[in-house]
Amino acid sequence: MDKLAKQLRLDAERIDTTVSAELEQRIVASLRAVTPRAEPGSDTGARLERRPAMFWWASSLTGIAAATAVIAIVNFQSRQADLAAPGVVASTSPVTIATTVPIIDWKTEYATLTGPLREELGNLQADIKKAEKKVRGDIGL
Amino acid sequence: MTDELQLIDAAKAGSADAFAELVARYQGRLLRFLLTRCSSYADAEDALQDTLINAYRYLHSYDPRWRFSTWLYRIAIRNAQKSRSQNVIELGDLSDEQSDPLLQCIAASESENLWASARRLLNDEVFAAMWLRYAEDMSVNDISKALDRSVSWTKVNLLRGRRALDAELNAGGNESEAYG
Repeated sequence: MDKLAKQLRLDAERIDTTVSAELEQRIVASLRAVTPRAEPGSDTGARLERRPAMFWWASSLTGIAAATAVIAIVNFQSRQADLAAPGVVASTSPVTIATTVPIIDWKTEYATLTGPLREELGNLQADIKKAEKKVRGDIGL
Repeated sequence: MTDELQLIDAAKAGSADAFAELVARYQGRLLRFLLTRCSSYADAEDALQDTLINAYRYLHSYDPRWRFSTWLYRIAIRNAQKSRSQNVIELGDLSDEQSDPLLQCIAASESENLWASARRLLNDEVFAAMWLRYAEDMSVNDISKALDRSVSWTKVNLLRGRRALDAELNAGGNESEAYG
Protein backbone atom coordinates (compact mmCIF):
# COMPACT_ATOMS: atom_id res chain seq x y z
CA MET A 1 0.00 0.00 0.00
CA ASP A 2 1.47 3.36 -0.99
CA LYS A 3 1.64 6.52 1.08
CA LEU A 4 -1.52 8.08 -0.35
CA ALA A 5 -3.63 4.93 0.08
CA LYS A 6 -2.41 4.54 3.68
CA GLN A 7 -3.15 8.15 4.46
CA LEU A 8 -6.62 7.97 2.94
CA ARG A 9 -7.44 4.85 4.91
CA LEU A 10 -6.19 6.34 8.17
CA ASP A 11 -8.04 9.58 7.57
CA ALA A 12 -11.27 7.74 6.76
CA GLU A 13 -11.01 5.81 10.02
CA ARG A 14 -10.44 9.04 11.90
CA ILE A 15 -13.78 10.45 10.79
CA ASP A 16 -15.92 9.93 13.85
CA THR A 17 -19.34 8.57 12.96
CA THR A 18 -20.99 6.41 15.52
CA VAL A 19 -24.47 5.10 15.08
CA SER A 20 -26.34 6.54 18.03
CA ALA A 21 -28.36 4.28 20.31
CA GLU A 22 -31.47 6.12 19.22
CA LEU A 23 -30.79 5.47 15.54
CA GLU A 24 -30.01 1.84 16.29
CA GLN A 25 -33.35 1.46 18.08
CA ARG A 26 -35.10 3.14 15.18
CA ILE A 27 -33.48 0.74 12.73
CA VAL A 28 -34.31 -2.32 14.83
CA ALA A 29 -37.91 -1.19 15.21
CA SER A 30 -38.34 -0.53 11.50
CA LEU A 31 -36.74 -3.85 10.60
CA ARG A 32 -39.18 -5.62 12.90
CA ALA A 33 -42.05 -3.97 11.07
CA VAL A 34 -40.78 -5.19 7.70
CA THR A 35 -41.44 -8.63 6.34
CA PRO A 36 -38.93 -9.74 3.73
CA ARG A 37 -40.50 -10.44 0.35
CA ALA A 38 -40.57 -14.11 -0.51
CA GLU A 39 -38.61 -15.36 -3.48
CA PRO A 40 -40.93 -15.26 -6.49
CA GLY A 41 -42.50 -18.66 -7.00
CA SER A 42 -41.07 -20.16 -3.82
CA ASP A 43 -44.43 -20.14 -2.05
CA THR A 44 -46.16 -21.92 -4.92
CA GLY A 45 -43.32 -24.43 -5.06
CA ALA A 46 -43.59 -25.17 -1.36
CA ARG A 47 -47.34 -25.61 -1.60
CA LEU A 48 -46.96 -27.99 -4.54
CA GLU A 49 -44.35 -29.99 -2.66
CA ARG A 50 -46.67 -30.39 0.31
CA ARG A 51 -49.27 -32.25 -1.74
CA PRO A 52 -49.25 -36.05 -1.29
CA ALA A 53 -48.26 -38.48 -4.08
CA MET A 54 -51.81 -39.82 -4.20
CA PHE A 55 -52.96 -36.41 -5.38
CA TRP A 56 -50.71 -36.63 -8.46
CA TRP A 57 -51.86 -40.21 -9.24
CA ALA A 58 -55.51 -39.28 -8.86
CA SER A 59 -55.21 -36.19 -11.08
CA SER A 60 -53.29 -38.13 -13.76
CA LEU A 61 -55.88 -40.95 -13.81
CA THR A 62 -58.74 -38.45 -13.97
CA GLY A 63 -57.11 -36.77 -16.95
CA ILE A 64 -56.57 -40.03 -18.81
CA ALA A 65 -60.15 -41.18 -18.11
CA ALA A 66 -61.58 -37.86 -19.35
CA ALA A 67 -59.52 -38.01 -22.55
CA THR A 68 -60.59 -41.63 -23.23
CA ALA A 69 -64.24 -40.73 -22.69
CA VAL A 70 -64.05 -37.79 -25.13
CA ILE A 71 -62.36 -39.94 -27.81
CA ALA A 72 -64.94 -42.70 -27.38
CA ILE A 73 -67.89 -40.28 -27.62
CA VAL A 74 -66.51 -38.58 -30.74
CA ASN A 75 -65.88 -41.94 -32.46
CA PHE A 76 -69.32 -43.27 -31.55
CA GLN A 77 -71.07 -40.14 -32.85
CA SER A 78 -69.23 -40.16 -36.20
CA ARG A 79 -70.06 -43.85 -36.71
CA GLN A 80 -73.77 -43.14 -35.99
CA ALA A 81 -73.71 -40.30 -38.54
CA ASP A 82 -72.15 -42.60 -41.18
CA LEU A 83 -74.88 -45.20 -40.65
CA ALA A 84 -77.70 -42.64 -40.78
CA ALA A 85 -76.69 -41.11 -44.15
CA PRO A 86 -75.36 -43.86 -46.41
CA GLY A 87 -73.79 -43.09 -49.80
CA VAL A 88 -74.53 -39.43 -50.49
CA VAL A 89 -73.59 -38.78 -54.14
CA ALA A 90 -72.74 -35.36 -55.49
CA SER A 91 -75.62 -34.00 -57.56
CA THR A 92 -73.59 -31.55 -59.65
CA SER A 93 -71.40 -32.44 -62.59
CA PRO A 94 -67.67 -31.80 -62.38
CA VAL A 95 -66.40 -28.56 -63.83
CA THR A 96 -63.11 -28.16 -65.69
CA ILE A 97 -61.18 -25.80 -63.56
CA ALA A 98 -58.82 -24.76 -66.39
CA THR A 99 -61.67 -23.05 -68.23
CA THR A 100 -62.88 -21.14 -65.22
CA VAL A 101 -59.53 -19.70 -64.24
CA PRO A 102 -59.02 -16.36 -66.04
CA ILE A 103 -55.79 -15.97 -67.95
CA ILE A 104 -53.87 -13.05 -66.62
CA ASP A 105 -51.93 -11.05 -69.15
CA TRP A 106 -48.74 -10.42 -67.24
CA LYS A 107 -46.75 -7.51 -68.66
CA THR A 108 -43.27 -8.69 -68.00
CA GLU A 109 -39.88 -7.43 -68.98
CA TYR A 110 -36.60 -9.26 -68.71
CA ALA A 111 -34.27 -7.90 -66.17
CA THR A 112 -31.28 -6.26 -67.75
CA LEU A 113 -29.26 -5.98 -64.63
CA THR A 114 -26.52 -8.32 -65.85
CA GLY A 115 -26.15 -6.48 -69.19
CA PRO A 116 -23.34 -4.10 -68.18
CA LEU A 117 -21.47 -6.93 -66.53
CA ARG A 118 -21.66 -9.05 -69.66
CA GLU A 119 -20.38 -6.13 -71.71
CA GLU A 120 -17.51 -5.62 -69.30
CA LEU A 121 -16.67 -9.32 -69.47
CA GLY A 122 -16.62 -9.15 -73.30
CA ASN A 123 -14.26 -6.15 -73.19
CA LEU A 124 -11.94 -7.91 -70.79
CA GLN A 125 -11.87 -11.04 -72.94
CA ALA A 126 -11.05 -8.92 -76.02
CA ASP A 127 -8.24 -7.22 -74.08
CA ILE A 128 -6.82 -10.59 -73.08
CA LYS A 129 -6.91 -11.79 -76.68
CA LYS A 130 -5.14 -8.63 -77.85
CA ALA A 131 -2.47 -8.97 -75.17
CA GLU A 132 -2.00 -12.66 -76.02
CA LYS A 133 -1.58 -11.79 -79.70
CA LYS A 134 0.99 -9.12 -78.89
CA VAL A 135 3.00 -11.47 -76.66
CA ARG A 136 2.92 -14.17 -79.35
CA GLY A 137 4.14 -11.60 -81.91
CA ASP A 138 6.92 -10.42 -79.55
CA ILE A 139 8.27 -13.89 -78.93
CA GLY A 140 7.97 -14.82 -82.62
CA LEU A 141 5.37 -17.53 -82.46
CA MET B 1 -16.83 -14.33 3.80
CA THR B 2 -18.27 -17.83 4.27
CA ASP B 3 -19.53 -16.71 7.63
CA GLU B 4 -21.17 -13.76 5.91
CA LEU B 5 -22.80 -16.03 3.32
CA GLN B 6 -24.13 -18.23 6.11
CA LEU B 7 -25.60 -15.18 7.79
CA ILE B 8 -27.18 -14.08 4.51
CA ASP B 9 -28.66 -17.54 3.94
CA ALA B 10 -30.03 -17.58 7.48
CA ALA B 11 -31.49 -14.09 7.00
CA LYS B 12 -33.04 -15.19 3.71
CA ALA B 13 -34.60 -18.12 5.56
CA GLY B 14 -36.22 -15.59 7.91
CA SER B 15 -33.72 -15.23 10.76
CA ALA B 16 -33.95 -11.66 12.02
CA ASP B 17 -30.95 -12.26 14.30
CA ALA B 18 -28.76 -13.13 11.33
CA PHE B 19 -29.75 -9.93 9.59
CA ALA B 20 -29.19 -7.95 12.80
CA GLU B 21 -25.64 -9.35 12.85
CA LEU B 22 -25.12 -8.17 9.25
CA VAL B 23 -26.52 -4.77 10.16
CA ALA B 24 -24.12 -4.48 13.09
CA ARG B 25 -21.22 -5.20 10.77
CA TYR B 26 -22.07 -2.62 8.16
CA GLN B 27 -24.07 0.18 9.75
CA GLY B 28 -21.09 2.26 10.92
CA ARG B 29 -19.29 2.05 7.59
CA LEU B 30 -22.48 2.73 5.67
CA LEU B 31 -23.28 5.78 7.76
CA ARG B 32 -19.79 7.17 7.19
CA PHE B 33 -20.18 6.60 3.45
CA LEU B 34 -23.66 8.14 3.41
CA LEU B 35 -22.28 11.27 5.05
CA THR B 36 -20.26 11.75 1.89
CA ARG B 37 -23.40 11.52 -0.25
CA CYS B 38 -26.13 13.26 1.75
CA SER B 39 -26.68 16.91 2.47
CA SER B 40 -27.04 16.59 6.25
CA TYR B 41 -26.31 14.20 9.12
CA ALA B 42 -30.03 13.58 9.63
CA ASP B 43 -30.45 12.73 5.94
CA ALA B 44 -27.55 10.29 6.15
CA GLU B 45 -29.19 8.60 9.14
CA ASP B 46 -32.51 8.37 7.31
CA ALA B 47 -30.76 7.01 4.22
CA LEU B 48 -29.02 4.41 6.39
CA GLN B 49 -32.33 3.29 7.84
CA ASP B 50 -33.91 3.10 4.36
CA THR B 51 -30.92 1.20 3.02
CA LEU B 52 -31.10 -1.46 5.71
CA ILE B 53 -34.87 -1.79 5.37
CA ASN B 54 -34.61 -2.17 1.57
CA ALA B 55 -31.80 -4.66 1.94
CA TYR B 56 -33.89 -6.76 4.34
CA ARG B 57 -36.99 -6.49 2.20
CA TYR B 58 -35.25 -7.47 -1.02
CA LEU B 59 -32.70 -9.89 0.41
CA HIS B 60 -34.17 -12.67 -1.76
CA SER B 61 -32.92 -10.82 -4.84
CA TYR B 62 -29.32 -10.66 -3.59
CA ASP B 63 -27.04 -12.46 -6.01
CA PRO B 64 -24.13 -14.13 -4.16
CA ARG B 65 -21.86 -13.52 -7.16
CA TRP B 66 -21.71 -9.91 -5.94
CA ARG B 67 -19.98 -9.05 -2.68
CA PHE B 68 -22.64 -8.32 -0.08
CA SER B 69 -20.99 -4.99 0.71
CA THR B 70 -21.16 -3.98 -2.99
CA TRP B 71 -24.87 -4.76 -3.07
CA LEU B 72 -25.46 -2.79 0.13
CA TYR B 73 -23.49 0.23 -1.11
CA ARG B 74 -25.45 0.21 -4.34
CA ILE B 75 -28.72 0.43 -2.37
CA ALA B 76 -27.17 3.11 -0.16
CA ILE B 77 -26.14 5.21 -3.18
CA ARG B 78 -29.67 5.05 -4.57
CA ASN B 79 -31.21 6.07 -1.27
CA ALA B 80 -28.76 8.95 -0.88
CA GLN B 81 -29.61 10.15 -4.39
CA LYS B 82 -33.30 9.97 -3.56
CA SER B 83 -32.83 11.96 -0.37
CA ARG B 84 -30.73 14.57 -2.17
CA SER B 85 -33.21 15.05 -4.99
CA GLN B 86 -36.05 15.39 -2.44
CA ASN B 87 -34.06 18.09 -0.64
CA VAL B 88 -33.41 19.94 -3.88
CA ILE B 89 -37.13 19.90 -4.65
CA GLU B 90 -38.22 20.93 -1.15
CA LEU B 91 -35.44 23.23 0.09
CA GLY B 92 -33.26 24.06 -2.91
CA ASP B 93 -29.63 22.99 -3.32
CA LEU B 94 -27.91 22.91 0.07
CA SER B 95 -24.57 21.69 -1.13
CA ASP B 96 -22.29 24.32 0.38
CA GLU B 97 -19.24 23.62 2.50
CA GLN B 98 -20.72 24.74 5.80
CA SER B 99 -23.65 22.32 5.59
CA ASP B 100 -21.54 19.38 4.34
CA PRO B 101 -21.94 16.74 7.07
CA LEU B 102 -18.64 15.05 6.23
CA LEU B 103 -16.70 18.30 6.54
CA GLN B 104 -18.51 19.01 9.80
CA CYS B 105 -17.40 15.63 11.18
CA ILE B 106 -13.84 16.25 10.02
CA ALA B 107 -13.84 19.71 11.56
CA ALA B 108 -15.09 18.22 14.84
CA SER B 109 -12.09 15.90 14.99
CA GLU B 110 -9.82 18.96 14.89
CA SER B 111 -7.10 17.34 12.80
CA GLU B 112 -6.07 17.59 9.16
CA ASN B 113 -7.78 15.11 6.94
CA LEU B 114 -7.03 14.33 3.33
CA TRP B 115 -10.70 13.60 2.68
CA ALA B 116 -11.48 17.26 3.29
CA SER B 117 -9.11 18.11 0.44
CA ALA B 118 -10.69 15.36 -1.65
CA ARG B 119 -14.06 16.95 -1.03
CA ARG B 120 -12.74 20.26 -2.30
CA LEU B 121 -10.84 18.88 -5.31
CA LEU B 122 -13.00 16.07 -6.64
CA ASN B 123 -16.53 15.93 -7.91
CA ASP B 124 -19.10 13.71 -6.17
CA GLU B 125 -18.71 10.65 -8.37
CA VAL B 126 -14.91 10.65 -8.33
CA PHE B 127 -15.00 11.24 -4.59
CA ALA B 128 -17.32 8.25 -4.15
CA ALA B 129 -15.04 6.06 -6.29
CA MET B 130 -12.01 7.13 -4.25
CA TRP B 131 -13.88 6.53 -1.00
CA LEU B 132 -14.95 3.04 -1.99
CA ARG B 133 -11.43 2.22 -3.15
CA TYR B 134 -9.38 3.59 -0.27
CA ALA B 135 -11.74 3.76 2.70
CA GLU B 136 -13.74 0.61 1.93
CA ASP B 137 -11.00 -1.32 0.12
CA MET B 138 -13.29 -2.31 -2.75
CA SER B 139 -11.99 -3.68 -6.03
CA VAL B 140 -12.33 -1.65 -9.23
CA ASN B 141 -14.98 -4.10 -10.48
CA ASP B 142 -17.03 -3.76 -7.32
CA ILE B 143 -16.78 0.02 -7.43
CA SER B 144 -17.99 0.10 -11.02
CA LYS B 145 -20.94 -2.11 -10.05
CA ALA B 146 -21.78 -0.03 -6.98
CA LEU B 147 -21.63 3.24 -8.90
CA ASP B 148 -23.21 1.76 -12.01
CA ARG B 149 -20.29 2.90 -14.15
CA SER B 150 -18.00 1.12 -16.56
CA VAL B 151 -14.75 -0.40 -15.34
CA SER B 152 -12.77 1.92 -17.59
CA TRP B 153 -14.58 4.99 -16.21
CA THR B 154 -13.75 3.82 -12.71
CA LYS B 155 -10.08 3.22 -13.51
CA VAL B 156 -9.64 6.56 -15.26
CA ASN B 157 -11.36 8.53 -12.51
CA LEU B 158 -9.51 6.74 -9.74
CA LEU B 159 -6.31 7.72 -11.47
CA ARG B 160 -7.45 11.33 -11.81
CA GLY B 161 -8.47 11.41 -8.16
CA ARG B 162 -5.16 9.94 -7.10
CA ARG B 163 -3.19 12.47 -9.12
CA ALA B 164 -5.13 15.38 -7.63
CA LEU B 165 -4.69 14.08 -4.10
CA ASP B 166 -1.05 13.13 -4.64
CA ALA B 167 -0.35 16.69 -5.65
CA GLU B 168 -2.21 17.93 -2.58
CA LEU B 169 -0.43 15.47 -0.30
CA ASN B 170 3.00 16.42 -1.62
CA ALA B 171 2.22 20.11 -1.37
CA GLY B 172 0.98 19.62 2.21
CA GLY B 173 3.97 17.41 3.05
CA ASN B 174 6.41 20.02 1.80
CA GLU B 175 4.77 22.75 3.80
CA SER B 176 4.05 21.24 7.16
CA GLU B 177 4.31 17.43 7.02
CA ALA B 178 0.66 17.46 8.05
CA TYR B 179 -0.24 14.26 6.21
CA GLY B 180 3.04 12.39 6.58
